[in-house]
Amino acid sequence: MKRYFEIYLKFLAQHLKRMLQYRSDFLIGAGSFLFIQASGILFMVLIFQQIPDLNGWSLTEMMFLYGYFQLPRGIDHLLTDNIWLIPTKVRRGEIDRYLLRPINPLFQLVIERFQIEAFGELIVGVALMIYTIPLLNIDLTVWTVLLGLLFIILGSLIYTSIKLITASIGFWVINSMPIMTTVYNIADFSKYPTTIFPKVIQYTVTYLIPFAFVSFLPATALLNRSNGLEILLGSVIAVSVLSIAAYRLWVLGLKSYQSVGS
Amino acid sequence: MIEAKHISKSFVKYEKEKGLIGMIKGFVNAKKVIKKAVDNVSFTIQEGEVIGYIGANGAGKSTTIKMLTGILTPTSGEILVDGIIPYKDRVRNARNIGVVFGQRTQLWWDLPLVESFSILKEIYQVSNEDYKARMEMFEDVLQLSEFIKSPVRTLSLGQRMRADIAASLLHNPKVLYLDEPTIGLDVNAKLKMRQAIKTMNKTFKTTVILTTHDLDDIEELCNRILIIDNGKIIYDGALSDIKTKYGSDTKVSFVLKEAWTDFVDLAHLMEVDPKDIIVKVDEDKLEIGFDKRILSVAHVAQVIMKNYEVTDLKIMETDIESIVSRIYNEGKVNVSND
Repeated sequence: MKRYFEIYLKFLAQHLKRMLQYRSDFLIGAGSFLFIQASGILFMVLIFQQIPDLNGWSLTEMMFLYGYFQLPRGIDHLLTDNIWLIPTKVRRGEIDRYLLRPINPLFQLVIERFQIEAFGELIVGVALMIYTIPLLNIDLTVWTVLLGLLFIILGSLIYTSIKLITASIGFWVINSMPIMTTVYNIADFSKYPTTIFPKVIQYTVTYLIPFAFVSFLPATALLNRSNGLEILLGSVIAVSVLSIAAYRLWVLGLKSYQSVGS
Repeated sequence: MIEAKHISKSFVKYEKEKGLIGMIKGFVNAKKVIKKAVDNVSFTIQEGEVIGYIGANGAGKSTTIKMLTGILTPTSGEILVDGIIPYKDRVRNARNIGVVFGQRTQLWWDLPLVESFSILKEIYQVSNEDYKARMEMFEDVLQLSEFIKSPVRTLSLGQRMRADIAASLLHNPKVLYLDEPTIGLDVNAKLKMRQAIKTMNKTFKTTVILTTHDLDDIEELCNRILIIDNGKIIYDGALSDIKTKYGSDTKVSFVLKEAWTDFVDLAHLMEVDPKDIIVKVDEDKLEIGFDKRILSVAHVAQVIMKNYEVTDLKIMETDIESIVSRIYNEGKVNVSND
């Protein structure tokens, strides 16, 4: 475990060094993400000029939800973006190298990339938190802060697991990119209160592809609209099931890679 | 050190027919085609041996290497590398081996070389002393310091290969697999690579398995060769054996001071049967081909030089390249070596 941690730190140091070296790359990357986010917020503000609230959600609450959504997404994006490349690496036979070293192949794959663009999402997320929390009815107790942070970690794990599941399909299907992007885009529903969508979508994002646990359900808990413990329990169950399934599928994929070859 | 027992590897391919209708047919009911890349291959390799594994493109070399390293699982048969089944106990096996694929780097593209090494040190848990000692040795043989601070992606092919082989040896593996380690390298870089392999093999008794198309690599490094063709091993034995079987054909060419015009019976002069020597003449150039087991080079040279004034002389032994191509063409070799 200590060895993994040290290897991770070494990679992180290198990534940060490069980030400083290629400052303009970083600024362009993060800047463009910032721009996308800003236009999303602007769109929301414009809509709320026409309506007072959306299914009981005020503009500030919507902005809180939007910002909160960015945090797990940003963390996942920052740390595990290389998972996207699994299908490409399978096609090119580049999984070989991970099988030649005496450390976990998934770990090797993940640490290779540090997606600095994600800072765009994280900056927007943090900024919206700072702006909206004082305006909202949120008690900043140890419990809510802890709960909020816990939900962010669990949310990132949901993202990563779903990404790993869809990416691992690439071990069997030559072009799995459409599946990956489709599923990933479903996450966008969680930027808004899922209650505004038809029942099918609500059920899908709660029970099937549980993106609702990434931000919408945690946000209701933090805004005292639901029972925090219940949501936390649901989230823990979702994360456990998903992450085990995802890792199993990846391992199964590696097995098939080893028997089929590339 | 390595034991392969009747290993085979088949790949399933789906054959598609041409055209739209063929495409639809293929979608509904694709024709399965099984290709045996490696077919019932067995061999045993002792510790410290340097094995040349040769064969034409697509003969099954890389597939064998991938099975030995644990990347691929054989369809049937069994492999033991230092007591470990590589595809079952991949991580434990990975600690014992070093791998260089000439076509593809094992290093991190964006990291400075020195960082790659320090990460590998961590991955294989190499002690500080060992690390220092080995880096010094690499410096002696491979001269890495000129580019050790550069990111791997900026290195030239020769530099990258030097870096790759150093990286594969950092943890002092028991077995080193080299898949075309000298491909695309200039003469100088090739020499350095060979030197590093030799040094490691001598110092640490590293077992080396080398696939290559460069027969100089084999002559320089290997004491034993395996030749694979169409997934089957067609030769397993000493390089010298194959050379005695195929390599006794020798040619000596002379450049004479004057054109050769007297058409003397050379066989008679050399006291052999006329069909034992092949004489080719081109004005002042005289070339005599013979079997070394019947005639010696010295005798041939002596006879000619006694009778003619010779200005130049060249001895040409059959090179391994022509031997191998002969074996490829014949398909099966019968060299008795047991």
